[in-house]
Amino acid sequence: MILPALASQIVYGRVGWAIVAATVVCTLWRSAVPMSRATLAAIVAGALAVMALPGNLSPAWYLGLAFQYPSGLLVGCCLLRLTQRWNGSRRSQAMPQMLAGVLALAGLLLYLDALGVLTRGYYYAGFGGAVAPLVAIVLAVACALAIILQHSRGHAAALLGAVVLFSVLRLPTGNLWDALLDPLLFGWAIVALLAGARRRAGRRTSGCVAANDGEPVPGAALQPLAAEHFSSLKEQVGGQ
Amino acid sequence: MENPAITRPPRHHAILFGCLLLTVLVIAAEALRWRAAHRTAASATAVPSMTTTSPGRVTLTELSNAHIPAPRGMPSAHASTLAVLPGNRMLAFWWAGSRESGPDVKVFASTWANGSWSAPSMVASRESLGAELGFGVRRIGNPVAWTDRAGRIHLYVVATGLGGWAAARIAHLVSLDQGKHFHVRRILPTSPLFNTSALVRTAPLSLSDGGWWLPVYFEIGNKYPMLMAFDADGNPTSLARIGNSTSTLQPALVAVSKHEVRAVMRDDSEQQLVQHAASVDGGATWQDLPALDLPNYSTSVAAIRLTSGQFLMLHNHVEGGASARSILRLSISNDMRTWRTVADIAKGPAGDEFSYPSMQQVGNELHITYTWQRQAIAHHRYRIQPEGTS
Repeated sequence: MILPALASQIVYGRVGWAIVAATVVCTLWRSAVPMSRATLAAIVAGALAVMALPGNLSPAWYLGLAFQYPSGLLVGCCLLRLTQRWNGSRRSQAMPQMLAGVLALAGLLLYLDALGVLTRGYYYAGFGGAVAPLVAIVLAVACALAIILQHSRGHAAALLGAVVLFSVLRLPTGNLWDALLDPLLFGWAIVALLAGARRRAGRRTSGCVAANDGEPVPGAALQPLAAEHFSSLKEQVGGQ
Repeated sequence: MENPAITRPPRHHAILFGCLLLTVLVIAAEALRWRAAHRTAASATAVPSMTTTSPGRVTLTELSNAHIPAPRGMPSAHASTLAVLPGNRMLAFWWAGSRESGPDVKVFASTWANGSWSAPSMVASRESLGAELGFGVRRIGNPVAWTDRAGRIHLYVVATGLGGWAAARIAHLVSLDQGKHFHVRRILPTSPLFNTSALVRTAPLSLSDGGWWLPVYFEIGNKYPMLMAFDADGNPTSLARIGNSTSTLQPALVAVSKHEVRAVMRDDSEQQLVQHAASVDGGATWQDLPALDLPNYSTSVAAIRLTSGQFLMLHNHVEGGASARSILRLSISNDMRTWRTVADIAKGPAGDEFSYPSMQQVGNELHITYTWQRQAIAHHRYRIQPEGTS
């Protein structure tokens, strides 16, 4: 069990909360006027400046009071979202269903254990001298391979960043699970799963309604236009 | 149109190099830590410290009882703890303020030397903790203190986040000048739920390598006891749960042998008895034991092993028309199972409160402190004598 120095935790907390806060502002901005890169840079710089204010003038004072520190992966996912926004993407791709599912399941087990419903000691294992470092190394190697092979590159980079912060500086708390998950990220994963389920249910409903109405299913590949076109071509060829 | 043959290789190489560098960094950092940890583990295996210097039965004779001087304008006081200093001196810590959970609650300290207590001095407030932590603290609660082999005083203070005691965290403070000044070392990580709902109340247990076990407990909904182990420098080394119970808290740890440790605990169940758990492998695993035949209406207990080898426990007894905390009883045992009453340290009508006891053996004296009517900290002093001597 090796814990980070308080000074590094304070710096991490301020920077981490600034990135999370900037992401929240950008997310709320979505329905308003389009965001330029200059605006995005100003939001991030403003969040960093406000978080750096001394004592209780800083929002980090109150965020730390309530939530202590964001997980490295939450900060990574927020950075990914900001990067996507910087590159002009307005639709959130920072929490895909696969990642959300893994985080929701891991969070469920971890929090049930922490609440005393289970007695497996999952959280304590995150401090372990053998298991936690091995898991960190495996995750780092897997993330590096994913990045090199261009498979979910952004999320692999976010996860790799969280693992590097943990392994090198033991941030944010010295526990591996605190680097990979926190209740805010867990909540984000649950919301993403619910939103995904709602989208799928919506698609199924619209598909059922379309089938019941006897109308053709929308989509160019399923329209008989190409067959007709092909058929008419045959006729044309045959006519020559 | 982009020509991948010209633009992609340099960027691809940079990504490849970056990934390799970060992966090597992770592996190297973990390997270095693993090597350092195994060197330390090879040189020392911590087991509970045993200090039985004069085995046999003892008698206790009261020498004095008084209140520790209270800070001015602080009508509420609670949750005292004791730390031993060199030269048969002691430090008492407790919280005081206008009321429990009030914004003016602070942790105070007083030094016992030459038969009297010093004027109290403030050692931690929510302002002082917030200034050092970089984030706010809403309430101050129970303190627990420990003196390490190097003479440093380690003070653990309950400091809540947003919410009541269920949002509690544990601040670790250290004094290098025997309690005159404290600085915050860190907030101890104890829970993945915003690191909340971990509290301290009972005294640490000494380990053979100079380290100690800090009893901790969790209390959102379910209540369960834990212990955090520290090395001789005061760095946490592990965290573990005590038993499987979900209705016990505030474990008081006592070493029965080098490998057997018992925990007696406050009961939050309908059983209303002092709860009991044991470890026979030096604290690695714990088993819940049947409750002791001593009433416990959700009140804190204190337990120590005397240098004679006998065990003492302070607990609130309930009989007749007494209320949960109106009788504070001192009991003695040879086996941690069968207990005999030594004395009722404090007794009053139903509704009185004599609670949250602490005790320390200093030389041949037993020092007891407890909350007196939520208004002051009482101190009783007993002489410990081998049975049959006067």
